[in-house]
Amino acid sequence: MTTPATQSTTHVGGSLPAGSRAPKELTDLAVLIGGQGGDGTLTVSDLLARYFRKRGLYVYSSRNVLSRIRGGHADSSIRASREPIAAMKARVDLLVAFDNEAVQIGQPELEPDALILFDSSVFQSDLPNALGFPFATLVGSQLGQPIYKNTAAYGAISALMGFDPETTRHVIEERFKRRSPEALEKNLKALEIGRKAAMELPQGRDRWHVADGDAHNQILTIGNQAVALGFVVAGGRFFAGYPITPATEIMEYLMRYLPPFHGVVRQAEDELAAINMIIGASYAGARVMTSTSGPGLSLMTEGIGHAGTAELPVVVADCQRVGPSTGEPTRHEQSDLAHLAHLGHGEFPRFIIAPGTLEDCFYLTIDAVNLADKWRLPVILLLDQALCQNSSTSPPLDLSRARIDHGKRLTEAELAALTTYKYYQFTEDGISPQVPPGTVGAFAQVTGNEHDENGHVSVNPVNRVKMMKKRMEKMVHARDDLPLPQYYGEASAKIGFIGYGSTWGPIREAQERLALAGVQTRFLQARTLFPVQTHTLDPFLQGVDVAYVVEHNYNGQFAQLIRESLPQHHAKLRSVLKYDGLSFRAPDLVARVQEGP
Amino acid sequence: MSPVSVKPVPSTWCPGCGDFGVLAAVKKALVEVGVPTHEAVLVGGIGCSGGIHNFLEINGIHALHGRLLAQAVGVKLANPKLTVVAAGGDGDGYAIGMGHFIHAFKKNASILYIVMMNETYGLTKGQAAPTAPIGYEGNVEPPFDAILTALSLPAHNFIARTFSGDPKTMTAVLVEALRFNRANQGYAFVEDLSPCVTYNDTFKDWRERVLDVSKLPGYDPTDRKVMFQLCLDTMEKGKIPIGVMHRPAPKTTEGADSLELKLLPDRIGPAVTGIELADNLAAYDKLIKSVT
Repeated sequence: MTTPATQSTTHVGGSLPAGSRAPKELTDLAVLIGGQGGDGTLTVSDLLARYFRKRGLYVYSSRNVLSRIRGGHADSSIRASREPIAAMKARVDLLVAFDNEAVQIGQPELEPDALILFDSSVFQSDLPNALGFPFATLVGSQLGQPIYKNTAAYGAISALMGFDPETTRHVIEERFKRRSPEALEKNLKALEIGRKAAMELPQGRDRWHVADGDAHNQILTIGNQAVALGFVVAGGRFFAGYPITPATEIMEYLMRYLPPFHGVVRQAEDELAAINMIIGASYAGARVMTSTSGPGLSLMTEGIGHAGTAELPVVVADCQRVGPSTGEPTRHEQSDLAHLAHLGHGEFPRFIIAPGTLEDCFYLTIDAVNLADKWRLPVILLLDQALCQNSSTSPPLDLSRARIDHGKRLTEAELAALTTYKYYQFTEDGISPQVPPGTVGAFAQVTGNEHDENGHVSVNPVNRVKMMKKRMEKMVHARDDLPLPQYYGEASAKIGFIGYGSTWGPIREAQERLALAGVQTRFLQARTLFPVQTHTLDPFLQGVDVAYVVEHNYNGQFAQLIRESLPQHHAKLRSVLKYDGLSFRAPDLVARVQEGP
Repeated sequence: MSPVSVKPVPSTWCPGCGDFGVLAAVKKALVEVGVPTHEAVLVGGIGCSGGIHNFLEINGIHALHGRLLAQAVGVKLANPKLTVVAAGGDGDGYAIGMGHFIHAFKKNASILYIVMMNETYGLTKGQAAPTAPIGYEGNVEPPFDAILTALSLPAHNFIARTFSGDPKTMTAVLVEALRFNRANQGYAFVEDLSPCVTYNDTFKDWRERVLDVSKLPGYDPTDRKVMFQLCLDTMEKGKIPIGVMHRPAPKTTEGADSLELKLLPDRIGPAVTGIELADNLAAYDKLIKSVT
C-alpha cells in the first residue's frame, strides 16, 4: 500500500521527447479520464471543467458509466475550446488512466501525439508518451488515504498544461469548501502532491499551454438541471417521479428547488403512481410534471392517454436511453419518438417538444408547461441522455424571456357572469374555459370514459364525434402556438440537415467544418416533433436537393414521420443513423456529407 | 350569483346494491362534518362503484382502474384545503391497485379511502376478486384480508370496516374518518362490506356473521397488536370483524404528521396560487445564479 520514501516517485514509460521544447499551444482540447467506478474520474473532470471555465473557455463534458454504483469501467470526457461547442471532439489529447483498462479503452481515441498520464502504483505502461505517477501510493503514504488520488491527478495535469497555480487552487477551494475542513485540507495537499510530482519531472512540466478564452459570461449546467429550473420558473409546483437513469436528476434538483416555493415533489412507488399523482394534482389546478425514461414511459402510457381524454394538463419529460426493456440504462439513444407519436391505445392529442440545447431545455420546458395548461392535454418534453446529462457551458438563462400563459382560465368575475359552467364545454378551439375545483359554483367532474360537456359518462354517438373533434383538433388549432424550428447555416444551401435534441451540437460543428471546406449546408433544428410541422419542413425540403436526417435509432423514426406527412419529399431524405449507445461526433457527419447523397 | 354547474345523473347500480348504502353514508357524513360541497372531491375507480361521484352534485374524478389512490393523493397535495374521498371496489383496490393500496398507508396523506368490498368483479359479470372465498367461480387462492394488512403497516392511520347493511354505524365511522382527515391527522381507510346483489348476494350471510369488535373484551383500537389478535380470533370463529380497527393515539412522536403537513408545514394552501412570474422573479434569479 505505502511506498518507501526512497523509491522513485515517478515512472517514465517509453521514449519521451526532451523537455526543452516550447509548450504546445492548445485552443481545443479533449481529456479522457478513465478508471474503475469509484476512482473519482468524474471529480477530475469536474475540476478541469471548473478550471477551464474560470479561464474563459467553452466546456463540454460527458461521462460513460456502467449501471452499477462502484466498480466496472467508468470514464469521463471533457473538452475545452475557445469556440462554442456542444459535442465531443473526435480525438483525445490527454488520457488520464487510473487502471490499464482505461488505457486499452482510451487508446484508439487518442491523437497521434496524445499524452497518457497513468497511475503507476496500479499498473505499468510502456506506451510512447505515457507518463506514470504513483498517485494512489503517493497520496496514501502522505495523507493516509488513497482516495484523494484523483485530486493529485488534477494537480499533475495542472503542471503538464501550465495551468495558472492560483486558479488551479481556487478550483479546489470552491469544489470542497462545502465539505468538511478536513476534506478541503486533504484535497489541497493532494493537489500539491500531484503538482510537485509532475514538476519534478522534466518531461512533466509545461508540456502544453492551454489558451485562455473570452467566454466569461457562460453558465455551466446539464439539460436535466435546465429542465428543472424551467419547470420552477414556469410556475410548476407539483412533481412526482420514480428514479430512472438518465432522468433522475430532474427529480433530485426539484427536491431542492421546489420546497421554498411551496411546491411538492414526491418520489412515487412506481411510474404508474407518478403519472397518476400528477394527474390528480393537475385536476386540482397545479402545474405539474413528471420525468422518466423508456421503461417508465411504457408504464406511464396508460396515464398519459387518460390525461389526453380527460383533458388534464401534464408535462412528461422523457429522457431517452437505449431501449427496449432495460436496454442500456446509461447510454444514449433517440428511439422513443415513434412510440410517442402513436402513444397509447385509442386516439388523443399530444404535443412532442424537443429542446436541442441547454438554453432550449430551460425555455422549452416553460413553453411545455404553458402549452399543456393552455391546451389541456399531455405535452411530452423529449430529451436524450446526452442532452440530459452531459454538462456544458451555456449562455445565461434569461428570465425576461419567460412568460406564464394560463390560456382560458376564468377569473372569479368571468365565472360569476356565466349562466352555466361546463368543464368540457364545446368551443371553437377545443379549449373549455375553467377554474380549478374548489371554487363555488364550478363543479368539475372528469373521467377517462367518453363523456358529455358536464363530464358525465356518455356513449351518445353524436356526442362522441363532437368530443373526439374537440380534443383531436387541438393539434390543428395549436399550430401557431408550438415552438418553431431554429435554422442555421447558409439559407440558400442545397444540402440540408434535419435533427433534434443533442444532435444539435455535432450538426452545428459539422456545418462549420464543411463550410471551411467550401461545402455550404443549412440545418433545420426541429423543436416541435409532433404534430409534424409540415409548414416549416415543407419549405425547407423544397429548398434543398438532399436532407440528411440525423438521429440515434435504427429505423430513422423522425425521417419516417416526415415521410408520412410529406411523401412528396421522400426521395430527398437520407437517414444518418447511429444506435451504438454513443453520440455522433462532428467528423461522422462531415464524412457522410462528403460521401455524397 | 354562481353559474349552474354539474347535476347528478341517475344511478347505474342494480336495485338493492350495497353501494347505495355507501353513497347515502358519504353524503350524510359530508353534511354532518360540514364540508362545503365545492371543497369536496370524490375520486372513483373503475367498476360499478367507480361512478359514485356522478350521482352527487360534487367535484369528481373517475380515475383509471386501480389508480384512484394515486390521483387522490395528487389532488390532496396540490390543494390540501380540499376534502378528498376516494371510493372504489375491491378489484380496483386490492388487485390492479395493490401497489398504491399499500403505499397509501405509508404516504399518510389525509384522504379517506372507502373500498366497496363484494368479493367479485360485478361489472364484468362475476369473476373472483382477490377477496373471494376459495371455491367462488373456481377460485383456488385464499382471500386477501385488507384489515389485517392495514393493521400490519405501522403508520398514523385510521382503519375501520363497516357493513352496508348497517348504514347508521357506517355514517358514524365515515364522520370520524373525515374529521381525522380534516384535522390533517393522516390517512383513513374504511372497507365497507357492500354485497353485489346480482353476482354474489352475501347480504344475509354477512348480516349473520358480522361482529362489532368494539363490543369484545380487550378492545383497544390504539393497539395494533391487540386488534390484530382480536380480528384473527373473530375470523377463526367464522365471523367477520367490523368496527373501528385502528384509531391512533394522539401524535406523540416526531415525524408522525400527515404527508401534507410534512411537505407544506408553512402553508396548507393550494399549489395553484403564488406562481406568477412577477411575484417570484427575484427568487428565481437568485436560485438560478446560485446553482449554475
